[in-house]
Amino acid sequence: MLSKNDYLEERITEYVVNQKESFYRLAYSYVKNAEDALDIVQESVCKAISSMDSLKNPDYIKTWFYKIVVNTSLDFIRKQRKSVAVGEEVLSSFDFGAVDNYEDFDLQEALDNLPAKYRTIVILRFFEDLKIDEIAEILNENVNTVKTRLYKSLEILRIKLSDCEEVWNEG
Amino acid sequence: MKDKNLDFFKKQYLDTPIPDELDIVVKKALKDGRDYRMKRNKLIKRTSVAAALVVASVGLLTVGINSSPAFASTLGKVPIVRGIVKVLTFKEYTVNEDRFKADIKVPSIQGLENKELENSLNEKYLEENKKLYKQFMADMESMKEGEGYLGVDSGYVVKTDTDRILSIGRYFDNIMASSSTVFKYDTIDKEKGILITLPSLFKDDSYVEIISENIKNQMRERMKADDGFIYWVDVDEDEEFIEPFDKISENQNFYITEEGKLVISFDKYEVGPGYMGIQEFEIPTEVISDILVGNEYIK
Repeated sequence: MLSKNDYLEERITEYVVNQKESFYRLAYSYVKNAEDALDIVQESVCKAISSMDSLKNPDYIKTWFYKIVVNTSLDFIRKQRKSVAVGEEVLSSFDFGAVDNYEDFDLQEALDNLPAKYRTIVILRFFEDLKIDEIAEILNENVNTVKTRLYKSLEILRIKLSDCEEVWNEG
Repeated sequence: MKDKNLDFFKKQYLDTPIPDELDIVVKKALKDGRDYRMKRNKLIKRTSVAAALVVASVGLLTVGINSSPAFASTLGKVPIVRGIVKVLTFKEYTVNEDRFKADIKVPSIQGLENKELENSLNEKYLEENKKLYKQFMADMESMKEGEGYLGVDSGYVVKTDTDRILSIGRYFDNIMASSSTVFKYDTIDKEKGILITLPSLFKDDSYVEIISENIKNQMRERMKADDGFIYWVDVDEDEEFIEPFDKISENQNFYITEEGKLVISFDKYEVGPGYMGIQEFEIPTEVISDILVGNEYIK
């Protein structure tokens, strides 16, 4: 007979094995190199399994695990101090002028140039199809902050969605 | 309707190349996570029994001791112990909030004849944990308005407990904030009531070089045997971010196993990338037998 922990462990293992590429991509978006991204995935998985008691409800496994990956990535960047310093300055450089200067807009690098806390929201919302409230939970932000940042990100990335519902769609 | 820029970014993102190692790394992590949890479960059981013993037989210090009803039932099976050196959880600090979690267990050694040593170790344990707790509370206060997650987990593992030797390891794990996992060991000669230091085991300081060389060889072998293992040994010079492992420090973390083997321990990041975690190397006794002061402890 399976104990509660065995069941939980099986669920997590199955989830991790199926979703590992998503986690890797997200980790990679923070550190921009394969070696560190692998480190982050390894550490996240290890943390998840060893502290699975913190997963109160198995239905929340998705947000729970993304949260671990995001926190491990941020932690990693802080520790290694070798990430490219991208902060508010870059963002404000987009604010003043850059948006109107079409020649300067490099599509190839636009997403990478976005500060992490904005980029992650775009990734989770549009590439990983998470809901706004799930993203808020993952990033420990309130829903309105996430919405504001997402809106801002779309502006910077020059994404125009004809149907606003697509941005805020929570279902 | 989708935007063409958005499509572009999505494709760019999903095209992130996935390295072949990902599969191995994930499998290894799943196993490591399981091992780590089992180690912790074992440790919880151990402390509980120790705590129950003291409560039952001596009846002092009951206030600070965390005993659990879960093993009231196992008590009957515990053999009667007289005047034996024991480690138990003296005090526990816990914080359990959404974004802030702390679980700090302070070990306490009881029953050493050398009370001065016993007190100084226990005081040290209490001090280091108090400091950790204070720091945590301060960090928590400053983060309350902002964002982020803070987690601290500290406790201890009795690595060896023989008639002669007690090796106790305390771990400090900053789960998601700024720091990393740190393990600190103390090894005590219960009979003589002395703290065993690494230099005290050897005739002279040649042990630093001899042990370091042995460890480097073990690192190379492990890396050869398993692609998932990475140590910072024989690092290319152009790897500017990596400080290669050169030699152990004079007072490198160590403990002595039940079989009397010397084990050298490295904290996370000390000799390899983060995912390697804590690293331990057992030093074959024949490698150091010529320089050992005696074979009282190391066999």
